[in-house]
Amino acid sequence: MTDFRRWLLLFIVGFLTIPAHCQTTTFSREWQFARYLADKEATDEAMSVLQAFDKQLLTVSQRDSLAYLTGWLAYGAKSLGEASDHLLRVSKASPFYTKSQYFGAYCLAFQHKRDSAGAVMQHLPAPDSTLLELRAFERAGLALLQRQYGLYDTLRQQFSYSSYALSAEEKRMDIYWQGLRAQKHRSPALAGLLSAAVPGLGKLYAGKTKQGIAAFLPVLTMGLLAWEGYRKDGPASLRFLGFGSLFTVFYIGNIWGSTLAVKVRRDEFNRGYDNKILFDMHIPLRNLLNR
Amino acid sequence: MTTKFYLICIFLCGICSIAKAQLPLSTADSLVASGQFLAARVAYERVLFTSAEPIIRFSAAVGKARCLKQQGLYASAVTFLNSQIQTDYADSLLYPLRQEQILCAYLAGQFENTLSLLERLPYLHPGMSATPLLIAVRVLSLNELKRWSEAAVAYRELAAHIQADSVNLNPYQQLPRLKSEKKAQWLSTFIPGAGQLYAGKPGEAALSILVQSAGLYFGVLSYLQGYYLSAWGIGAGLFGSFHAGGVRRAEVLVQELNHKRAAMFNARARQKILEMIK
Repeated sequence: MTDFRRWLLLFIVGFLTIPAHCQTTTFSREWQFARYLADKEATDEAMSVLQAFDKQLLTVSQRDSLAYLTGWLAYGAKSLGEASDHLLRVSKASPFYTKSQYFGAYCLAFQHKRDSAGAVMQHLPAPDSTLLELRAFERAGLALLQRQYGLYDTLRQQFSYSSYALSAEEKRMDIYWQGLRAQKHRSPALAGLLSAAVPGLGKLYAGKTKQGIAAFLPVLTMGLLAWEGYRKDGPASLRFLGFGSLFTVFYIGNIWGSTLAVKVRRDEFNRGYDNKILFDMHIPLRNLLNR
Repeated sequence: MTTKFYLICIFLCGICSIAKAQLPLSTADSLVASGQFLAARVAYERVLFTSAEPIIRFSAAVGKARCLKQQGLYASAVTFLNSQIQTDYADSLLYPLRQEQILCAYLAGQFENTLSLLERLPYLHPGMSATPLLIAVRVLSLNELKRWSEAAVAYRELAAHIQADSVNLNPYQQLPRLKSEKKAQWLSTFIPGAGQLYAGKPGEAALSILVQSAGLYFGVLSYLQGYYLSAWGIGAGLFGSFHAGGVRRAEVLVQELNHKRAAMFNARARQKILEMIK
C-alpha cells in the first residue's frame, strides 16, 4: 500500500511537470527558429514568430530572450526606437544583457536621446578590461555628441590606443574632438552687417562662398538698374520705383539669408561631426559584441 | 505470420513518417490558398528549418518564393532563392529553382542580373535545354535594356524553338527610331526652338522662340533708347537664361520621347511574345 502511494505521488508529480517541460521545449524550439530566421535576415517572418508568444506564460529568462531577439531584429531593420525599448528591457541575469545594454544605449544616442543614453552608459556592464575601455569609448563618444569637451578629455584617459578593436576609432575620435574644438564661432548678426555693407559678404563669412557670389550678382544688377532709372528718368519714374523696389527686396533678403546661412553652416558642421562620431561609436560594438 | 506482421508495421511507419513530414507543407499551402502570405512564408521557413528531406525542402522553397511573388517582393524572392541555391540539392531540383530566380529577377526589374543568371544556366546545367519561357525572359530583358538587335536574335531563336512564324509576327522588323539628345541640344543652341520642334513639341518650340525673342527685343530696344544697363541686365540676361533653358529643355524632351517610344515598342513586343509562348 505504501509502495502504491509512493508510485501514485511520483506519477502525479511527473504528470504536473509535463506542461512546464513542454512549454520550455516549445519556447526553446520557437526561439531557435526565430533566431534562424533572424540569421537569414528574414525579419518579417522572425518578428511574426516572436509576436506569437504569449508573454504572460513565459518565465523571466524566456522574456529576456524574447526581448533581446525582438530588439535585435528591430535594430537590424533600423527601427531604433523599438530596438532600444526591447534591448533595454533585458534583465541582468540574461546572457544577452551586456550586448543588449551596449546596443540599446547606442540606439538611444542615435535617436538624439542623449541624456537617456548617458544614464544607461554610466552603468554599462564591463567585466573585463576590453569592455571597460569600450564603455569609456562609448561614453566619450556621447560626451562629444553632447559637446562636453571636458568630460571627453577625462574619459579619453582610459583609451589605450592599442586595442585591435578600438585603436583606430579612438584616434579618429581624438581628431573629431580637435576639429570640434577648433570650430569657429560665427555671429549671425555680424554676417547680417557684412551683407548690409557688401551684399553676399555675410555668406562668404558664414562659409558659403558660392552662395555669396550668387547673392551678390542679382543685388548688384538690381542696384545698377535702379540707378540707371533714377539717373535717366528721375525719382518718380516707374522704372526707378520698380527696380528700386526689387533692389530693396533682394538687398534685405540677402541680409536675412546671411544671418540664416551662419545657422545652416553651423548645423551642417555639427551634423557632419555627429554622423562621423556615431559611425565610429558603432564599429567597435559590432566587432566586439556582435557574436 | 511474424514476417507479415513486421512488414505491415514497416509500411505503416513509412506512411506515417511521410505524412508527418508533409503536414507542415500542406498547412503552408492552405495558408497560401487563404491569402495569408506572411503566415505561409513562416510555415514554409519552418519546413526548411525542420526538414532534411530535399524534395520537401525544395517544395517549401518554391512555396516561399511564390508567396514573395504574390506580395510583389520580387527582389526579396531573388535573394531568398539565392540562399536556397547554395544548398546541396540535386541538379533536377536546382534547375527549377534557378528558373524561378530568373523570373523573379526579371519581375524585380533587375534586367542585367536576369541576363547574367541566364548566361550562367547552360554552364551550370549543360544537359538542360532552355525553355521557351526562359528565352522569352531573355528577349524581354534585352528589350528593357534597349539592346534590340540582340533581342531580335533571341526572338528568332524563340520563334524557331516553338515553331512560330518569325517573319510575319516579328516585332523587330521595325525598331523604334530614337532621337539624338546631342542633336536636339545643338539645334536649340543655334536656332531657338528647333530642338523642341525636333523632339516633336511645336507648342514648346513656339513658346521658346517667343520668350527668347522678347528678351532680345527688350535688350535691343533698351540699348537704342540709351538704357545700356537695362539692355544688358534684363534684355541680355533674360535672353541668355531662356536660351540656356531652351537647350536643356530640348534635351529633356528628347529623353522623354525616346523613353516613350521605347516603352511603347517594348509593350507591343511583350504582348506578342507572351501570346507566342502561351
